[in-house]
Amino acid sequence: MKLTRREFSAGLAAGLAAPALMRSAWAQGATIKIGMCVPVTGPAAEQGLWAQNGAKLALAAVNKAGGVLGKQVELVIEDDQTTNPGIVLAFSKLAAQSDIVAFLGSIRSTQVQAMAPDVIKVGKPVMIGGTNPDLTHSGNPWLFRFRPNDNYSGRVIADFGVNTLGKKKWAIVHSTDAFGTAGGKALSEALTKLGAPPVLDQGYANQSQDFTPVVLAVKQSGADVLGTYFTFENDLGIFARQLRQLGVNIPWVGSPSVVAVSSTKLAGPALFNTYGVADFAEDSSDAAKAFGKAYRDAYKTAPDNQSAWPYDAITILSAAINKAGSTDPNKIRDAILATQKFAGAEGEYNFDKNGDGLHGYNVVKNDKGKIVYDKHIDFND
Amino acid sequence: MSATDNMIPAPAVRSKPLIIRHLPYFIGAAVLVALAAGMQFDGYILNILLQATTFSIAVFGLSVVLGLCGQINLAQAAFFGFGAYAVGLGTADLHLNFWLCLVGACAITLIAGAFLGMSTLRLGGHYLAMVTISFQQIVTLVMINAIGVTHGPDGVANIRRPELFQSSQSYLAFCVAMLAIVGYLVWHLPDTKLGRAMRAVRDNELAAGVNGIDVFRTKIYAFGLCALLGGLAGGLFAGGFAYVSPDQFSFAESIVFLTMSLLGGVASPIGSVIGTGLLILIPEWLRFLKSVPGLYLAIYGLFVILIIRFMPDGIWGFVSDAFTRWRAHTKAPPAAAALQLKPATSGGDIVLEVTGLSKHFGGLKAVDGVDIAVKRGGVHALIGPNGSGKTTTLNVLSGLYKATAGRIVLDGTDITNMAPHQRTAAGLGRTFQNIRLFRSMTALENVEIGAERPGNTMIGKGEDALTERAMEALTFVGLGNRANELISSFSYGHQRLIEIARALASNPTLLLLDEPAAGLNSTEKLELHELLKRIAAQGLTILIIDHDMTLVSEAAQHITVLNFGRRIADGESMAVLRHPDVVSAYLGSE
Amino acid sequence: MDLVLQLLFTGIGIGAVYALVALGFVLIFRATNVVNFAQGEFSMVAAYLMVVFSVDLGWPYWLSFLIALAGMALFGVIFNLGVYYPLRNRTYLPVIIATIGASILLSNSVLAIYGPQPQVLQGWFDTPGIQLGPVYLDSQYLLIIGVTILLVLFNFWFFEKTLLGKKLQATSQDKEMASLLGISVSTMIMITFIYSAVLGGLAGILVAPVLFVSIQMGSTIALKAFAATIIGGFGDVAGAIVGGLALGVIETFGAAYISVPYKDGFAFLVLIAFLVFRPQGIFGERVAEKA
Repeated sequence: MKLTRREFSAGLAAGLAAPALMRSAWAQGATIKIGMCVPVTGPAAEQGLWAQNGAKLALAAVNKAGGVLGKQVELVIEDDQTTNPGIVLAFSKLAAQSDIVAFLGSIRSTQVQAMAPDVIKVGKPVMIGGTNPDLTHSGNPWLFRFRPNDNYSGRVIADFGVNTLGKKKWAIVHSTDAFGTAGGKALSEALTKLGAPPVLDQGYANQSQDFTPVVLAVKQSGADVLGTYFTFENDLGIFARQLRQLGVNIPWVGSPSVVAVSSTKLAGPALFNTYGVADFAEDSSDAAKAFGKAYRDAYKTAPDNQSAWPYDAITILSAAINKAGSTDPNKIRDAILATQKFAGAEGEYNFDKNGDGLHGYNVVKNDKGKIVYDKHIDFND
Repeated sequence: MSATDNMIPAPAVRSKPLIIRHLPYFIGAAVLVALAAGMQFDGYILNILLQATTFSIAVFGLSVVLGLCGQINLAQAAFFGFGAYAVGLGTADLHLNFWLCLVGACAITLIAGAFLGMSTLRLGGHYLAMVTISFQQIVTLVMINAIGVTHGPDGVANIRRPELFQSSQSYLAFCVAMLAIVGYLVWHLPDTKLGRAMRAVRDNELAAGVNGIDVFRTKIYAFGLCALLGGLAGGLFAGGFAYVSPDQFSFAESIVFLTMSLLGGVASPIGSVIGTGLLILIPEWLRFLKSVPGLYLAIYGLFVILIIRFMPDGIWGFVSDAFTRWRAHTKAPPAAAALQLKPATSGGDIVLEVTGLSKHFGGLKAVDGVDIAVKRGGVHALIGPNGSGKTTTLNVLSGLYKATAGRIVLDGTDITNMAPHQRTAAGLGRTFQNIRLFRSMTALENVEIGAERPGNTMIGKGEDALTERAMEALTFVGLGNRANELISSFSYGHQRLIEIARALASNPTLLLLDEPAAGLNSTEKLELHELLKRIAAQGLTILIIDHDMTLVSEAAQHITVLNFGRRIADGESMAVLRHPDVVSAYLGSE
Repeated sequence: MDLVLQLLFTGIGIGAVYALVALGFVLIFRATNVVNFAQGEFSMVAAYLMVVFSVDLGWPYWLSFLIALAGMALFGVIFNLGVYYPLRNRTYLPVIIATIGASILLSNSVLAIYGPQPQVLQGWFDTPGIQLGPVYLDSQYLLIIGVTILLVLFNFWFFEKTLLGKKLQATSQDKEMASLLGISVSTMIMITFIYSAVLGGLAGILVAPVLFVSIQMGSTIALKAFAATIIGGFGDVAGAIVGGLALGVIETFGAAYISVPYKDGFAFLVLIAFLVFRPQGIFGERVAEKA
C-alpha cells in the first residue's frame, strides 16, 4: 500500500479535527449559529455596541417566537477592531466554525471589501451594512445589503434639496475616506443630472481638529444649500459648531451622520433645522415605530441606523432560513432574494438580483434636538 | 607575505564549510515548508499563519536596522505598504506578472529606504524617530488621497498570486520558504563585513569611524535593507490577502512592527519570528476578553511595558542568554604567529606634518596655530596641562572635529578635509582616552573590524585571513588566548590593550594613543611601556598623549608641549622637560 | 482680509493647543532625554477626569478642574514610577517603547472603563464667543491663548527665578554635576513628570469643549505637538511655544489655500524640511552634543 503525503496529512488533519467535529455536531443539534463581525475596539467601537444591541434585540424576538427551524438562534460575535486586517481575521475565525450558517458583516464598506475574497471562499450568506454600491455589483453572490446604497443617498439628498427645498447652488463637504468619497461623488453626479452641478466639492481628512478653512470655503462659494458626508460624529460636531459660529446658516442636507443620536448630542443647537437622509427614521413606518419602542425599552436610549440594520438583518435572515426549511447556503440565498415587500425597521425590503434590499431613504429633520420624520423618497431602479 | 608560511590555520570556529554547519537549519526549514504545504488548515489558521509569515519578514528588516545598526525606524509599515501597493496595483490594475511586481516592490522600497536614509541619517536618535514618523504619515495621506493612482481608501482588490501558487496552502508554503531564506541571510549577516560594520556603528559610532568604517554609508545600507525587507514582506502580504487598503499601513502598524521586534529580541531573526508570532496571537488569544471594549488592547499595552522592563533583550535574548550561561566557557583559540607591522612609507622623513592647526569653538580658541612634525619610526609625545588643547588636537587629527584652519599631511597625503574613516584608510590608527570598544562583540571581532581597514596590505583574501590577522594582533598584546570572550569580561587594562590591538591589526602608518596610561595601575603601566617599545621596534611611528611624565619621558624621544591651545615647547625629550616655560606651565596649573 | 484674520485666529488657537502639549514633551525630554509617546494620553485622561467630576458627579466646574489637575499630578507620579523610573539607566529606545505601551494601555483602559461614546464638556464661559468686526472669536480658544501666554510667563519666572526651577534646569543640563551639587536627580525627574502631566492635563481640559472628549483626542494632538517641538528646537521651552503656534498657523493656511485633505501632511512636510535644513530648530537645540 502506498500512502501519499497528501493522504497522510489529510488523515492526520482529520484525526486532529475529530474532537472539534464531534463538538460541532453536538452543537448543531442545539442551536442555529449566526456569526457577527463587529467593532468592539477601535474608533468605531461606539457604533459596534449599538449594532450588537440591534442584533441581540432581533435575536431575542426570533427566539421568543420559536427560533429557526425549531431551534434557538445563537449569535457568535468577533471583534473586527475597526480595521481591515481585523475583520479578515475575525471573519475567517467565524468561518472556520462550520456550524455557523450565515454572518453579519460590517457597516464599513472597506471592511466588506477586505473580507469579500474570504466570503466567496466560504460560500455562505453574509448580511452587510456597507453602502458602497460596488459591493453588491461586483459579482459576489453572497453579500446582502440591509441599507440603501450610496447611489440612493446621493440621489435622495439631491432630489430633496432641489425639488423640495428648491435650492440649486450646492456646496458639498465630504470625508476623504471610502464612505465620504463615494457619497460625495454620488451626490455630485445626482446634482449634475438634476441640472444643478455643485459650486464647491470639498474633501476633509477624518479626525481633523479644526474646520475653519472648510467653513470659510463654503461661505465664500456663495452656495445656498449644503450637502455633507461625514463619517465620524465628533468631526461633524466640530464642523457644525464652527459653521454656525462663522455665520453660515444655509439649509443643510446631509448623510445619516447628521441626524445620528450622538451627533445631535455633541453638536447641540448647531444642528437644529438640518435635514439628514436616514435609512432609519422612527416615525417613517409602523415597523420602525415598533423597533424604536422595543429598543428604548431594552436599552433606555434612542435607536439609530447602526442598530436598525442588524435588527432587520437578523429578522429577515431568520425568516429566510425558516422559509428555505434548511441551512443550505444556496437555499438561504434564494429565500433572501425572494423577500419582497417586507416591512423592516429600515424601510420596505424588496431584494433585487444584486442583493440590495432597500432602494430609498427617509429624509428627517432635526427639530430643536428632536429628530422628526419628514418624507420618504424611493426609487424604482 | 613571507611570514604566513609557518602559520597555524585560523581558529576552529570556521573549520567546516558553511553549508554543512548550517544543514540542520535548512532541514528544519524544509520540514516547515512541507508542513505548510501539506497540513490542512482552516481559513482562520491559514490567515493567521500567512499574516505571521509576511509580518516576520518585515520585522527582520527592523532587526537589521535596529538590532544590528542601532537606528530607529518608525515607518516600517509605510515600506510594507509600498511593497503591498506595488504588487497590488501592478497585478490588479496593470495586469503585470506577479514576480515582476514583487521585484519592482523590492526595488522601489530599497530606493525609498536608501533615499530616506540619505536625507536624514545624519541625524540621530529622536530626530530619526520623528522623520520616519513624518514619512509614515505622508505616505498614509498619499495612499488615502491620491485616489487616481491608489484607489484611495477603497483600497486595491483582486490582487493576483503567481500561477504556481494559486491555492492558499501552496502560497503559504512559498511564503514560509521565503521566510526561511531571508531569515538565513539575516541570521548570517552579523558575521559578514557589512554586518560587523553595522554592529560597530551601533556600539560606538565614533570608534567605528576611526576604525575605517564609513558610518554614513553603513547606516544607509542598513536602512535600505530594512526597507527592502519591508517591501518584500508587503508584496507577499498583498498576494496572500488579495486586498490592501491604506489603514493597514498606518503609523499604528509601524508601532506594532517595532513592538514585535523588541518583544522577540531585536538582535536575532529568531526573535523577530517569536515576537511577530506572539503579537499576532496574543490579541487573538485575548479575544475572550472582548465583552469589555478595550480591555484586551489595554492588557497588550501592559505586556509591552512589562516585557521592556523585565526582558530588555526580548524573549529570544532572554532564552539565549540563559543558554550561553549554561553552556561551558568558550574554547580558547589556537595560538597565532607573530604580528607583522609594515607601516607604509610613501612620504618622506616626516610621517605627520601639522602646520598652523587651529580649532575654535565660538570664541574659545581650543587649539591655536599649532605646528607638529612627527618623525618616522619614533615615539613622539604631545603633552600639556589640563585644558591645554591636547585632546582637541587629537580629535582634529583623527577627523572627529573639523579644523578651523591649518593643514594636516599624513605620509605625503593631505588629510585635512577627510572624514574619519577616510583618514583611517589613509593610514591613521588611534585609541581613545575613555575606551571605545564595541561592547556587544568579542575581543576577536573587535580586532577584526580594525583589520578590515580599507587599504590594509597585511591581510590576504577572505574571512580566514582576517581572523588570522586579528589573532596575531591579540597575541601581540598578550590576549590571544581570550580572543573569543566578550569585551565585558575583560579588565580595564586589558580593554585598553584590545583597543591598541584593534589599531595595530589595521597596520597603520601612524598610531595615535590618547592617554593610554590613564586608569592603569603601576604593573599595567610597565607592561604598556614594554608594549610601546615592541611596537616602536617594528618601525611603527607613535604619537602619544599622556599626563604620565614617567611614561612620556621614558618612551618618547621627542616631545611637543601645548598650553592654552598654543605650542610652548618642542624638541628632544629631556631638553623640553627642563624648559622653563614647561616647568612653569605644569607647576602653575597643577 | 477678513478671511485671513479669521484663519489667523483659528491657527493661533489650535497652535496654542499644540504648544501646551508640546511644552509637556519638552519638559520631560529635557529632564530625561526621552520622548514621551504617551503625552497625548495625559490630555485625554485629564479630560475624562473632568467629565467624571463635572458632568457625572455634577460638582462645580472650578472644583472639578482643581481636582482633575490634582489627579493629574498623582498620575504623573504613577507614570514616572511605573514607566520611566525602572528604565532610567537604559538607552532611550526601551523607554520610548515603554511609553508607547503606556499609551496603548491608557487609551484602551479608558475605553474599557468609560465606553466608546464621545462626551460633551462645557466650556468655562456661557457665551460661545464674540464677534469682533469681521472676525469671530471663540471664547474657549481665547481662553486657551490666554492660558498659553500666562504659562510662558510662568515658565520663565519658574525656571529663571526660583530655586526649584534652577535645580530642575541644572538637572536637565548635567545630571552628574547636579547630583554632585547635592540635588536629588530622581526627585527632580519626579517633579518634572508631575508638572508635565499637569500641563498635558490642562491642555486636555481646555481643548475638550472644542474637540469633545474622546479616546483619540490626545493622540492626534500629540503627534502635531511632537512636530512642533522639533520645529521649535528640541529641548527649548520657548521653541515649543513658537513651534506650536507656527504649526497651527501653517496648517490652517495650508488647508485654506492649498489642500484640506492634506492638512495633516503640512505639519510633517514642514517638519522634514526643518530636520533636513535646520535640525537645530528655530531656536537651536539646547541639549548638549556628545563630545
